Amino acid sequence: MANITCSSIVKSYGDYPVIDGLNLDIPDHEFVVFLGPSGCGKSTMLRMIAGLETVTGGRIEIGGTDVTDLPPGDRGVAMVFQSYALYPHMSVADNITFGLRRQGLPKAEIAPRLTQVADMLGLAPFLDRRPKNLSGGQQQRVAMARAMIKTPKVFLFDEPLSNLDAKLREKLRTEIRKMHLQLKTTTIFVTHDQLEAMTIADRIVLMRDGAIEQMGTPDEIFERPASHFVADFIGTPAMNFIDATIEPGHVARSGSIALSLSRDLFPGLRPGQKVELGLRPASMDLVEPGAPNAIAGRVVLVENMGAEGQVITEVDGREISFVTAQFRRVKPGDAVRFALRPDQIHAFDPVSGRSLLGA
Amino acid sequence: MTRNTFVRLTLVPAIALLATLALVSIGGAIWFALSNRTLRSPDYDFVGAYNFLRLLRDSRFFNALEISALWEVITVSGTLGLAVLLSVLIYETVQKPLWRNLICFAFLVPVLLPRVAAAFIWRFMYSPSLGVINYLCGLLGIGPVEFLADPSLALMSVAVVDIWQWGLFFTVIVLKLMETLPRDPIEAAMLDNARRWEIHAYVTLPMLKGPLISLALVKAVESLRSFDLIFVMTGGGPGKATETLDLYAYQMGINMGGRISYASAMSLLLLLVTTIAFTIIWKAGKKWAA
Ligand SMILES: Nc1ncnc2c1ncn2[C@@H]1O[C@H](COP(=O)(O)OP(=O)(O)OP(=O)(O)O)[C@@H](O)[C@H]1O
Ligand SMILES: [Mg+2]
Repeated sequence: MANITCSSIVKSYGDYPVIDGLNLDIPDHEFVVFLGPSGCGKSTMLRMIAGLETVTGGRIEIGGTDVTDLPPGDRGVAMVFQSYALYPHMSVADNITFGLRRQGLPKAEIAPRLTQVADMLGLAPFLDRRPKNLSGGQQQRVAMARAMIKTPKVFLFDEPLSNLDAKLREKLRTEIRKMHLQLKTTTIFVTHDQLEAMTIADRIVLMRDGAIEQMGTPDEIFERPASHFVADFIGTPAMNFIDATIEPGHVARSGSIALSLSRDLFPGLRPGQKVELGLRPASMDLVEPGAPNAIAGRVVLVENMGAEGQVITEVDGREISFVTAQFRRVKPGDAVRFALRPDQIHAFDPVSGRSLLGA
Repeated sequence: MTRNTFVRLTLVPAIALLATLALVSIGGAIWFALSNRTLRSPDYDFVGAYNFLRLLRDSRFFNALEISALWEVITVSGTLGLAVLLSVLIYETVQKPLWRNLICFAFLVPVLLPRVAAAFIWRFMYSPSLGVINYLCGLLGIGPVEFLADPSLALMSVAVVDIWQWGLFFTVIVLKLMETLPRDPIEAAMLDNARRWEIHAYVTLPMLKGPLISLALVKAVESLRSFDLIFVMTGGGPGKATETLDLYAYQMGINMGGRISYASAMSLLLLLVTTIAFTIIWKAGKKWAA
């Protein structure tokens, strides 16, 4: 059990910094997800915390101890790799207990811990098998068992589920979450799947180009994205962005679209100011004629998603999509009106991309 | 034409050629072994199994058998031991690709040397009066050591040359194999508190078990053909200290006695013993590598 503190972390390969002055505080017991597009430095950050990668600058503390210069084995961390990284020539039991045996624990102490962990993850029937004779999901569980048995201070997961099919992913995601509720070990989980991040995290650290773009609970990140980048990255289907100009009466206008904004959320907007509006497809729905804050468009395409459907419309020559349960009523070519509440509209500075909330 | 017929048709000429060469010489050897030919006279009689029975009472034959077995064990284990040790050492200490490649290149040179040339170079280096090794021994206050004339040292001294040639070559192979291993299990082992040597002992080398067994078999076959090296360096001496089966067969059949029938019988026994031994080792190796 331990908190993690990263201060001014810099990592460069050659002259090019991959991580540039990153600061991060993770409280004890928290389940944190590093989320971000490919190449933003999530794995690099995780591997530096694990000690598999040296830092170019900055300090890393785990549980109040400066571990920056400690070898991986001495940091009290356990890691689950995307490839599982099992020892191919060892049985499942030997794989799981390898770390304890290296620590020189007596056999009598290892055996009950193995039984306990194997029972917890349902691995008892496979203990004598080689990893190559297990399914992907079973191998994944062995990798988790190998990490758990060490009772580490910190769990690190680097995209542990991305080699599994959708169903198994969901199942293991729930298992990892349950395991965390039970053990309460501080956990960092890397993924580039925003849905995975939203469902599993206590807090999300959203990264972009080696820096933290926003840090917060899944709700905060979803409801109050700090920037265009975050808003665009989170949520399916992706947010619609519209360039607009503020008019008197706190109304944002763009062609035929006129949306009134919340004065509480955006007190600082001045008439004539250029803004970029963000409209979540999921916050909008079909409305009757005459409803406030409505947008009129012509249906281009209807995508069936089962319970709901995404309707892609053309408005003033650009595409705007929304999600509705009544998608079966509309077909391409129809004229539709859809609307959303003022407090569900996001507004960003068109130049910096920062959110204008409270500004 | 189906794929199978094509495969067969293209294989037939090569296999036919090999089979003819092998079968004719084996047939010839059997034919010789059943008679009492010598190089000295054109007359001969059939003597049945006489040559084989004589062999079983020939203590020099059993000495040669023992030397051959010893030679196999020393060169195979020496070559692999050196290769594993050096490749782990280089893997751990030399990180720059350029340096690694230069070292690999240097390590390839000895095996490119014709073995007779290597044998002459080392015979000179081993020389008690002129050799550089004895000069170095002299600096340490030892010697001069009769590396090739001392019966207790001779076999070892010749084996060193073989291990020098092949061990360095195999070092390059093992190092390249290690570089192809996935990084993840090694990193997992680092997180599992394994020390450097433990990572190699428990993770990297076991992952290379299959290739290492194959290398051992290749070397075992290669070691059977060390006639030229031993012949040049010691000629089987001093006494019979380095006389392997092929050297003894040569001495019997060509050099001293010219008793080619007896030598043929010996070669046949050698063929039989190695075939059986290698089949057993191959099977065991396969089971162990699985
Ligand atoms: N050994 C290396 N040498 C040079 N550049 C590297 C090295 N390792 C990583 N990088 C660079 O560092 C950046 C971050 O890489 P990292 O693996 O941390 O990304 P990531 O966020 O984990 O991406 P993904 O989601 O694809 O796994 C990338 O631009 C990558 O090209
Ligand atoms: Mg990654």
